Amino acid sequence: MLWVLRRIGISVALAWLVATIVFMTLHMVPGDPAELLLSTGGTMPDPATVAELRERLGLERPLLNQYGAFLMGLARGDLGVSLIDEYPVLDEIALRLPRTLELILAGTLIAVAVALPAGTYAALHRGGLFDRIASGVAALLLAVPVFVVGTLLVLVLAQMLRVMPAGGYVPFAEDPPRHLTLLALPAIAIAKGLSAVLFRMTRASVLDSLSRDYVRTARAKGLTARRVLVRHVVRNALTPVLTVLGLHMGTLLGGTVLVEYVFNWPGLSTPLLRAVEARDYPMVVGIVLTISGLFLLINLIMDLLYAALDPRVRAS
Amino acid sequence: MKRLIIPGTLVALILLAALAAPFLGLPDPVRQDIAHRLAGPLEGSPLGRDEFGRDVLSRLVWGARTSLGVAFASALIAGIIGTAFGLIGGWFRGLGELLTVRSMDVILCFPPVLLALLVVTLMGPGAGTLILVLSVLYLPGFARVTYAEVLSARSHDYVEAVRALGAPAPRILLRTVLPNVAGPVLVQLSLAVASAVVLESGLSFLGLGVVPPAPSWGLMIRGARATMEQAPMLLFWPCAVLTLTILAMNLLCDALRDAVDPRTAGTRSRLRAVDRLLPGLLPMAKPAPGTVLSVRGLTVEIDTPRGPIRPVQDVSFDVGAGETLAIVGESGSGKSVSATALMGLLPPVARVAAGEAWLDGTELLRLPEEQMRRLRGGPMAMVFQDPMSSLNPVHRAGDQVAEAILAHRRVPRAEAWKQAEALFRHVGIADPERRLRAFPHEMSGGMKQRVMIAMALANRPKLLICDEPTTALDVTVQAQILDLLAELRRETGTAIVFITHSLGVVAEIADRVAVMYAGQVVEQGSVAEVFHNPLHPYTRALLAAVPEGDAPPAGIPGIVPPPHAFPEGCRFAPRCRHAEPRCSAGPLALEEAEPGRDVRCVRWRELARRGAEVPA
Ligand code: SF4
Repeated sequence: MLWVLRRIGISVALAWLVATIVFMTLHMVPGDPAELLLSTGGTMPDPATVAELRERLGLERPLLNQYGAFLMGLARGDLGVSLIDEYPVLDEIALRLPRTLELILAGTLIAVAVALPAGTYAALHRGGLFDRIASGVAALLLAVPVFVVGTLLVLVLAQMLRVMPAGGYVPFAEDPPRHLTLLALPAIAIAKGLSAVLFRMTRASVLDSLSRDYVRTARAKGLTARRVLVRHVVRNALTPVLTVLGLHMGTLLGGTVLVEYVFNWPGLSTPLLRAVEARDYPMVVGIVLTISGLFLLINLIMDLLYAALDPRVRAS
Repeated sequence: MKRLIIPGTLVALILLAALAAPFLGLPDPVRQDIAHRLAGPLEGSPLGRDEFGRDVLSRLVWGARTSLGVAFASALIAGIIGTAFGLIGGWFRGLGELLTVRSMDVILCFPPVLLALLVVTLMGPGAGTLILVLSVLYLPGFARVTYAEVLSARSHDYVEAVRALGAPAPRILLRTVLPNVAGPVLVQLSLAVASAVVLESGLSFLGLGVVPPAPSWGLMIRGARATMEQAPMLLFWPCAVLTLTILAMNLLCDALRDAVDPRTAGTRSRLRAVDRLLPGLLPMAKPAPGTVLSVRGLTVEIDTPRGPIRPVQDVSFDVGAGETLAIVGESGSGKSVSATALMGLLPPVARVAAGEAWLDGTELLRLPEEQMRRLRGGPMAMVFQDPMSSLNPVHRAGDQVAEAILAHRRVPRAEAWKQAEALFRHVGIADPERRLRAFPHEMSGGMKQRVMIAMALANRPKLLICDEPTTALDVTVQAQILDLLAELRRETGTAIVFITHSLGVVAEIADRVAVMYAGQVVEQGSVAEVFHNPLHPYTRALLAAVPEGDAPPAGIPGIVPPPHAFPEGCRFAPRCRHAEPRCSAGPLALEEAEPGRDVRCVRWRELARRGAEVPA
């Protein structure tokens, strides 16, 4: 139990570090942030506008004071308002986050459902036809960038074959089948990289597990092959796979931004990209912090799962 | 090394094209020509024109220049700074380590694309911003790799020696440590470049990376998306080139990593189908009544890249009910392989090439797997050498024992746990109710071995094979385990095959002993006779060299030859002080010296006559 508390404490500390770094990035970039934000394409911004923005952003106050206000705001869940339309950043995130989460969850589920059985099978028949083909496919999938996969899926399935919609979004409550159809392609695009990574890791982990002494013991007990495989090989191979899953969530979250863009999925990436282009920095900071926080949370969950699967972790 | 060639050539070609872009006589990649908007292949434009009438081939080549330029620049910057950080952190430890290596880890808390977008917001898109962001992103990787290498290099003698000579730290770092770090850093560099190409193209695709009209693969894909209905090929080319580049780089990374880290390489050996000896060359004599296990002519073959080897050849022995047979030999003598073969647990590369083994009227070596499974853990059970690794760390001890019961008998789970508790008590585990619920890491080595024994006894086996069950334990625990086994044998009448390298253990536990050398039994008989009157020179040397036990037999010069170098005739000849030319004339047979007493030596008779006078 103490271990769990400590692990949660670490996550909170990391979240604070992340927030601090974001704050420092904003203020350590050479030049006046207000001026930087307002200048587009080399034109000098109007001094009056700059002064007004400085006032609004509280840039006149001492740095430490600003930092305190920033952290306080975060603690209260106040992420400020958009510089463009004064819309509260938190409200925008609250609206969009569930859609992004849905996409991530669907993508992860697909990746796990494909990669775990395929990796296990390939390891058990190492060097066989399936192993060689699947390993080749995994190498290819790792090489195709996620937005290329997305774009090609649209090109082939939507434009040429016209079997799938090119993108868009309909709320689930409105039209469930349509919602799921629209979810399918972006989820597959997100799953592609993760499934390749998980496939490789599962394969290596099962191979490693197969050569362990306890697997020999399990066979010496006269357990059926199936039981040896499920309870001793796969069960033990799962923990390293879980770690890799957590580590690759960072790439997955980044990929989600691209995939949402390709498929017009109205998650967090739409306001994020709009805000980056317009230099609407409260919105950018809010969304970057949200997704980074999500990343930390996922890794926390992975670690707790790890502990649930491996009693040795709990002990240390 | 061969795996480096194809991806290496491909990457080199792409690099070359990027470097030579200005000299290839390509049309200007940014010159627009609205008249030929989305044109197919034209003269001078084999891949056609894009949505502004710009030449596609030229943009692809110039795009490589942009992508690879950004990628290499950022990887190099990250590499230089990161390596320096790692060197400093690894050398000075303490505060230096905190500032240079640990602090870098914070960067890993951000999803990379998000960090990049944050910086782009502040600094605006462009190649410069990209290089800055990407080099920051790859810093931790380099710092970590170098740090780890420095730590391991520091422990090497030569670094210590240079240090003791009083060389200044910077010089030691540059001269001795850096060359060692080079391999892993190179791998890291290739990984960073490959990953930078992906990120650069992704950001450019979003319109937040390279600024148009500069050619970039990501931008080309972005542009072609709008016109994908009219001109799908426009989309295809940059996608294909980008994927191919990353694929080649990834393969190069894998190959480099294997070349630098030999642990991951070369584990796959090509298997070769080989000739087998016809099985059953030795006619089987019916085992004597009361014999539980009877092994005749057991031969195990393993395919290796150098051809088949036979770590076990023509091994025969019998064990009766309630009897303990010790198989003794140095490591490499084939004793463990023999046991594994009997249990049907040989690894896939090994197989039984010849021989028979009868357990109570059932021939084991050719039994189908399903029937073999029913015997394993039932009538025949095995206790392994290392209890630390032989128990599954993620399951409770009680579960693992109950599992053995449930595998062979249809009893309710609760009943299996009850029996497991009785077994725990039987093998002398104090407080069995609590121990049943314990995980292996919560137990001592001796306790784990008791659990292993309980597991083996779960279904009252007729035959128990113990493969060096006490070697991994400390001396007092060893004695306890040996006592336990002796007691169990008395109570249950189980036949025991006890594999060990220790003659002390043999004397303590066994009734009869088979001495193995280089895959063969060289002598066997009752413990009393063999110890008093050894017939084989090897046995004699063993007994003379190791009165007490555990060290390798120091009195015998040389080592057991590896299986691919077994001598033609007597395998002990190279180390035998009585060797004569006829000893090596051809394979030797196991001879019956007297009933129940076998020896494999052409000179045993004359040596036995002189035996009394000649010290071994
Ligand atoms: S056969 Fe010859 S070499 Fe071999 S053990 Fe006997 S005496 Fe020594």
